[in-house]
Amino acid sequence: MSDFLLEIKNVSKFFHGLVAIDDLSMKVKKGQIYGIIGPNGAGKTTLFNCITGLYKPEKGDIMWEGKRINGIAPYKIAELGILRTFQTIRLFSEMSVAENIMSGRHIKSNQRWYNGIIHTPSMIKDEKKNWLKVGELMDFFELRKYATTPAGDLSYGLQRRIEMARALAAEPKLLILDEPAAGLNENETIKLAQTIREVRDQGVTILMIEHDMDMVMSLCEYITVINFGAKISEGEPSFVQDDPVVVEAYIGSDEDE
Amino acid sequence: MRQSYKIAIIFLIVMGFFPLFSNSAWLAVGTTFLIYAIVAFSQDIILGRAGAFQMGHALFFGLGAYTTAILNVHYGVPIIYTFIPAIIIPLFIGIALAGPIIHLKGDYLLVATIGFNIIFIQVIQNDIFGLTGGPNGIFGIDVVRIFGVEFMSQRAIYYMSFTLLALTLLIMRNLDGSKYGRAMFYINKDDIAAQSMGINVRYYKLYAFALGSAIAGAAGSMFAIQYSAVSPEAFNVIQSIMFFTIVLVGGSASLPGVLIGTFVMFVLPEIFREFQTARYLVFGLAMILTMILRPRGVWPVKFGNIPNYLKKKDTK
Ligand SMILES: Nc1ncnc2c1ncn2[C@@H]1O[C@H](COP(=O)(O)OP(=O)(O)OP(=O)(O)O)[C@@H](O)[C@H]1O
Ligand SMILES: [Mg+2]
Repeated sequence: MSDFLLEIKNVSKFFHGLVAIDDLSMKVKKGQIYGIIGPNGAGKTTLFNCITGLYKPEKGDIMWEGKRINGIAPYKIAELGILRTFQTIRLFSEMSVAENIMSGRHIKSNQRWYNGIIHTPSMIKDEKKNWLKVGELMDFFELRKYATTPAGDLSYGLQRRIEMARALAAEPKLLILDEPAAGLNENETIKLAQTIREVRDQGVTILMIEHDMDMVMSLCEYITVINFGAKISEGEPSFVQDDPVVVEAYIGSDEDE
Repeated sequence: MRQSYKIAIIFLIVMGFFPLFSNSAWLAVGTTFLIYAIVAFSQDIILGRAGAFQMGHALFFGLGAYTTAILNVHYGVPIIYTFIPAIIIPLFIGIALAGPIIHLKGDYLLVATIGFNIIFIQVIQNDIFGLTGGPNGIFGIDVVRIFGVEFMSQRAIYYMSFTLLALTLLIMRNLDGSKYGRAMFYINKDDIAAQSMGINVRYYKLYAFALGSAIAGAAGSMFAIQYSAVSPEAFNVIQSIMFFTIVLVGGSASLPGVLIGTFVMFVLPEIFREFQTARYLVFGLAMILTMILRPRGVWPVKFGNIPNYLKKKDTK
């Protein structure tokens, strides 16, 4: 259709009459690093939940590569190539780091129903291919030495890396990151920004929510600002940064940065 | 879990040689252990792996047993031919019953599955189709005959059960090393995250139900052969509660845990007859204490069963 990978068209989401997303529209281009910012409770995570199928918006369309995808089950959204991380980390915490990342290979694995009972040569090959991919990702994210460690035993920063590795294991077209820098120290944040750039350079489009303004402004190519569920501004970082409406929204809401 | 392979091998070797050193009374106890271990493992697929709170598992065990009994006694079908239907019928009934309730969470699913078990017992007790023999059940089940050779000795029955358990363990090993087994664990640990990784929660839960029910059915068939009789009380809700707690007390998805649980619950009472009356008391206490002191079970499962070539470059 167009060069927009993802289009949000006049989407609204209500919770018991409360407007969480208000007639929101935005367009994400292929290959972009796209940022979403806004004060706490603005509806950013809710928007991500609508895109990934966890919530169904009451109004509007979510278009993926030109096709309407709202209301589709989350697992099918993932199969389309839209993978995410969570603001409140959601790892399989008792399972090892490698097993966590392996979950991302689920949709890439071509095992059949009987392979849960009987192993076949092609299945064993598939299994090995997927574990090796997990190995590559552990190297990329410097997680190899924690391969067999339960994910829940690791630090916040490492857990965020595992979540990203897990999503990337599915070879997504669009990677959705919900506050990836939350809880990270300055060094970790700088490294994260580098990682995100590298991932994009490998051809993955990035859509991210982030409160760390330095990071957002230096990393994102385009930004949408949300307040009370509605878009109040959009544009390149330099524009958004100085937009009086944005400044007003952040001062008005006592936001920390 | 690698360690559990070793335990499984040792267990199979010990159980494989056990008949050489035991009389027929001990063989009967051993057979009971094998059969109940199979049921407990099949419960573990549903509860320990997929995390579905199924508390009606005796229903599928019973379905297998009654399938063999009815086909053999009423229709004269040779025992070995009843084996396949005793697997297929529980499998499809498992899918059919679980289908409408599989989306239910924890306690809701638990209550619904108990409901199925109660209805099942009512049906067989009231002899609804004139096939189940009511409260007395069905007796006079034939012995296994293959090409005219009768396998009726306690030892033969023992080794048939042993083979079935070995097969069950092999299936569980294969399950754990496949995308199917892993998907069950992911769903169990965090179903939102699992869905977001592209896992169809409903499909994999039903898969667990189908597999678990089929294996329980096979064990039921063995049970009918061992006692050459079936009756309702062997498949009531109390039995389901036992299978459920064996998994939770032993340790979800833990091979040694499930074996220990089965041994304590079903074998010790056979060995110590005086323990029989006290078994609910003892196991009840064990359940309470385990949940307080070791909420993940006596022998909790260890994850991290990944191929060695992923562990090698360990040096960083
Ligand atoms: N499942 C839900 N049920 C009811 N209300 C909800 C639900 N999820 C979110 N909300 C409400 O919707 C609004 C937007 O929440 P959301 O989590 O999307 O904000 P956010 O922009 O991500 O904020 P933050 O920066 O703090 O993460 C809030 O008022 C929140 O309380
Ligand atoms: Mg949020």
